[in-house]
Amino acid sequence: MGSFRVGFAFVVAGGIRFSLRLLGKGATALPGKVAIKIAPRFIWEMADGRDIITITGTNGKTTTTHMISEILRNSGYYVATNVSGANLASGIATTFAQERRHIKRAKRKGLKLVYVLEIDEAAFAKVAGDLSPKVCVVTNLFRDQLDRFGELLYTRDCIEKGLDLTDAKILLNADDSMIAALRKNREARTLFYGVDEQSMTQNNVTNVAMAKALPASSDAEYCLSCKRKYDYGARSFGHFGTYSCETCGDSRQNPQISVYFDPSMSSSDPGLPLTFQGKGFSVEGVLPIPGSHNIYNAVSAFAACSTFGDIVGDSDLSPEHVALALSQVQPAFGRMEKIQVGDKSFCILLVKNPVGLDRALSMVASASDAGGIYLLLNSNIADGTDVSWIWDVDFESKTLPDQLYCSGERYADMLLRLVYSGAGTDRIRYAAMPEAFKMFEDALDACAPGKCLYILPNYTSMLALREFLVRKYRLKDFWR
Amino acid sequence: MSKYSLRICHLYPDLLNLYGDRGNILAFTFRAGLRDIETEVVALSMGQPFEKDQYDIVFFGGGQDAEQNMVRRDLVSVKGPAVREAVEEGRVFLCICGGYQMMGHYYQEQNGNKIDCLGALDIYTEGKKDRFIGNTEYHCDLLVNDPVIYGFENHSGRTYLGDSVRPLAKVVSGKGNNGEDGTEGAVYKNVIASYSHGSLLPKNPELTDHILTLALGRKYGEDFVLEPADKTFEEIARKEMKSCKK
Repeated sequence: MGSFRVGFAFVVAGGIRFSLRLLGKGATALPGKVAIKIAPRFIWEMADGRDIITITGTNGKTTTTHMISEILRNSGYYVATNVSGANLASGIATTFAQERRHIKRAKRKGLKLVYVLEIDEAAFAKVAGDLSPKVCVVTNLFRDQLDRFGELLYTRDCIEKGLDLTDAKILLNADDSMIAALRKNREARTLFYGVDEQSMTQNNVTNVAMAKALPASSDAEYCLSCKRKYDYGARSFGHFGTYSCETCGDSRQNPQISVYFDPSMSSSDPGLPLTFQGKGFSVEGVLPIPGSHNIYNAVSAFAACSTFGDIVGDSDLSPEHVALALSQVQPAFGRMEKIQVGDKSFCILLVKNPVGLDRALSMVASASDAGGIYLLLNSNIADGTDVSWIWDVDFESKTLPDQLYCSGERYADMLLRLVYSGAGTDRIRYAAMPEAFKMFEDALDACAPGKCLYILPNYTSMLALREFLVRKYRLKDFWR
Repeated sequence: MSKYSLRICHLYPDLLNLYGDRGNILAFTFRAGLRDIETEVVALSMGQPFEKDQYDIVFFGGGQDAEQNMVRRDLVSVKGPAVREAVEEGRVFLCICGGYQMMGHYYQEQNGNKIDCLGALDIYTEGKKDRFIGNTEYHCDLLVNDPVIYGFENHSGRTYLGDSVRPLAKVVSGKGNNGEDGTEGAVYKNVIASYSHGSLLPKNPELTDHILTLALGRKYGEDFVLEPADKTFEEIARKEMKSCKK
């Protein structure tokens, strides 16, 4: 801790955090905000000399951060991480404001301290340089809250700017053409991860006719440099796949670390066997959290941990060990954790943008225990005030469970979306936000024994529901 | 087999697919289906010629800048003359945001650079730095039973109408075409253009039915009457829009 300013900021931030916690508040951003105000170089000084892994990209940040953290915890590390959602500079500074405590605890337990930080794409441009991370994971680029960023390319520019302020090893998703393009001028420090071509199945569409008539929106059908439509050898979902452009010759790069699975097996049920392959190894594991998108999160977490192990020379992070530790990761509340209530269960999948909802619907459509879907839609600033994106999601090609519910402040928009998908109005129940919790209880009652009610809220509707559920079922709040 | 059918052309769906414009196609299909009218959706994209006699309704949406630049070139050089002819013949078009702008004479960028557009509509657009973003309400005289249109706008272009087009609606709340003259969208022959995303049609079934009537009237004779159809769920959404207005 170099300067007096930073020392002072550290003490003040600690005090604010302590007071807020006494008041029962989360204190995930304010302490850091104040620390940066007092000492603008707070993050830079605190991060100096630390082992740091960052995760950015539009989707999968929280789950990937969770997976990496759990793998490292299982491998002799004390992991300091920012609280899910607190992924702006303020949230990262808040994490560092507790540094002394992290160091003390790590020391007491004889563990190595590592920071695993989820960072918002726009914030990444500003803070990556201050962090000097060892490893930067970039997950993917899908449309996300466009009324905030405006354009997908702007988001990528932010990530690019951040990467150039570090000399970290860069882990890129080989199957995402938008992300893979970030390799240019950074080839020497780039590693690719991806899904084995033989495992790619296209979108697990069940209603082929409807999918053909009105294809789901894809974010990158054309090569951006020569405006030519990509040819695809195989596709997994969205714009992920083995793309190639005939004009400029740009094509999907062979991933140094890839994951293989049997494409005829469902990724919606627990325990899908995975094989991680790389130079000199092929190791077995299972998908710890269901969903085709989580296969990508899993392979990126695998790549991040083994690459980090290489850099710091830690033989405990061997491919075998990382695959084993990854297989044992438990889902977090709000991210697929199933809560048992009597002879049935429910689980929450946070959905914030078109591809998130598309993947969640696809997962539930093929989950063998799906007893109903409950969609919640709000349009507060944290959600994005524009809800039009629900129309970009392909409901039409999926076979959803018989019981459909919707609520949230914008329940009427979601209701109309369901009706226009051709779902049949007798299957749909709906309620305005004040009755959302009552309808949740009814929905759980109506769920057949042994089945699971899948709840798909967006951000602020999840916060409201979470508060209700934590109280009603005495759950441990995953926010803390 | 249904007695009536409509072929809908979705222009550049693989490039222009932002802000839920896809919902407009679903609205045509859904509300036509309520009357047992068959619909077929045909995607038409880069490099493919526009055969104007093939389609009863043409939908032209908006996208991001990079994609719109690609589309504009194809529209002007590949499909241009056929689209202009179709417009003059009175074929039915719905154009939203970027699609609306590209039907006009030109788009002038902030730096003064003028980009030629199709010139099928007597309008032009000037790009500005600040965007108009938010929920909107308009009053549209074309819709006799319920003239209120609800939408969501998100655009930095300011569009100005020439003498040969009339506005689609008057702005009640929001900015509309340019934030100055209180107009929203444009109508020319059977072309309807608007800045409303949201999607526009699902929450405005009167407008959906109006466009369906135009298309069916053109195909099956002026005296074609579109039967009334249920709009219970559309009305729920409209009621919520009305009450959530701040």
